[in-house]
Amino acid sequence: MREIEIDAESKTPREINRDLKTLAEEYDRIIIKNPNAKHYLSAGLTTPVEVIIDGSAGYFAGTMIHQASIKIKGNAGWFAGDNMTQGELIIEGSTGDGVGQGIYGGNVVVKRDAGSRTGEIMKNGTIIIGGNSGFMSGIFMMGGRIIVLGDIAEDAGESIIRGAIYVLGEIKSLGKNAKVVEINEEDKKDLKELLPAYGFDLEDSKYSKFKKIVPRSKRPFYGQDSEEG
Amino acid sequence: MCGIAGVVYKDKKLHPVGSDMTKMLDALQHRGPDSAGFSIYGGLGLENNEYLLNIEIKEKPGLLEAVKELVKVVSPIKSEEIIPSVENYIIYRCKISLKSFSQLKPLIRDIDRIEGVIVLNGSHSFEMIKDVGYVLDIAKRYDTWSKMGTHAIGHTRFSTESIVDRYHAHPFQSYIIPDITVVHNGQITNYWNIRDPLERKGHIFETNNDTECIVHYVADKLSMGYSLEETLEQSVKDMDGPYSYVVGTPNGVGIAKDQLGLRPGVMAENDDVFAIASEEVSLREVMDTTYVEQISPGEVRVYEYNENKKL
Repeated sequence: MREIEIDAESKTPREINRDLKTLAEEYDRIIIKNPNAKHYLSAGLTTPVEVIIDGSAGYFAGTMIHQASIKIKGNAGWFAGDNMTQGELIIEGSTGDGVGQGIYGGNVVVKRDAGSRTGEIMKNGTIIIGGNSGFMSGIFMMGGRIIVLGDIAEDAGESIIRGAIYVLGEIKSLGKNAKVVEINEEDKKDLKELLPAYGFDLEDSKYSKFKKIVPRSKRPFYGQDSEEG
Repeated sequence: MCGIAGVVYKDKKLHPVGSDMTKMLDALQHRGPDSAGFSIYGGLGLENNEYLLNIEIKEKPGLLEAVKELVKVVSPIKSEEIIPSVENYIIYRCKISLKSFSQLKPLIRDIDRIEGVIVLNGSHSFEMIKDVGYVLDIAKRYDTWSKMGTHAIGHTRFSTESIVDRYHAHPFQSYIIPDITVVHNGQITNYWNIRDPLERKGHIFETNNDTECIVHYVADKLSMGYSLEETLEQSVKDMDGPYSYVVGTPNGVGIAKDQLGLRPGVMAENDDVFAIASEEVSLREVMDTTYVEQISPGEVRVYEYNENKKL
């Protein structure tokens, strides 16, 4: 294991990210000290390297990553993991709005609460929220899955087109084109494999209590004739 | 985009809130480079009938003297200070005494009639500092680092519709009741629906800026007996658009966020300090905490020294 630290105290996000990209070629683990909630940390990192952000990150933490594994020991601001395609982003604290916005793949894990519009327009991948998820979570979701272990706020799954939202707590209200269905054995099996891997150890009986939010229609706005073939 | 912030020391004693707010705003500099401003409450130490006037004057022979003559018609000038600013303007600050608060706004309007002069604000319990440019340049110009107080609000501006000048820098103040100020990030899209009833009640608007509209709305509600929390809750129902805004009063601060949550707002507190801001990076300048709360869509948060006190 080759490991190195970057002290972010007096560096700009651009300098930190330039260092990260260079060091990722040589090291297996990079620890960013004194991140002080700076924006864009680890943006566009496309190397299979482990990055530990030793504190809070600002907006767009881990945006557009591919293969990298990032752990944020504090909180993250808006749009953490935006548009990531592969890899892992783990946030030990809470996040602002739009966590996992537009992801194409990979796993985003938030140990505490998330703000509004979690997983907006996500195409694929998985988002796990250990606490509550805010207003319009899953808005215009087009694939993948969101798992919320706490409550999900008003208008959950607003205009959802594809994908699924699993909720263990209360669903305050559903958005347009969203409906709740029972989870099946395959869903339970997937959740039982996934959640303990990120430190969420639920009693077995809890898995039956998940509710699953899915789209009512795959084409709610433009007529029933699909142009996708 | 704009950055907004507020900080309150819960013991209501004097603390270096000028320094705190300078650091909070510098951390939000990336959210707006056009201008920045502060309302620093609790540190002026004025007598009951005293007020501080904060006046922008173009550097032109005779203008400063004209302002002083006009002020002296209603009040002696008890102390004064001239702060050089940029673009051939000075800031003239003077302490005056009035028989009642109701004299303040008419005096300000009289001074504003002098060409090349505009009163940035007049206050009793807080000091307003606002100017064009970067936070640290303004901080140096006005020595915000040394200002003491009990609580403060502040702003970094990314202008949208209104012009960039000292007067349109935030905070904005209302004179419906004393010492209410607002900093704001966003747009009020039903602006005229909010402004019209206020004008019909006789409240005077100096600009077409939506932040001025918010501060008059807030002051109007407070004058009718609403608490600050009730005022903010009603504003979220009444005002459309993407916004979050912070109010400062002599009694504390509050934040309101639009119902769709389209502008950011976070808060944190401990036994000593209550702080709110656009981003965590700003909170961390005054508090070492890992627990940061997101203000939810349509939510309001208030910290007041006397809870539910009617102003």
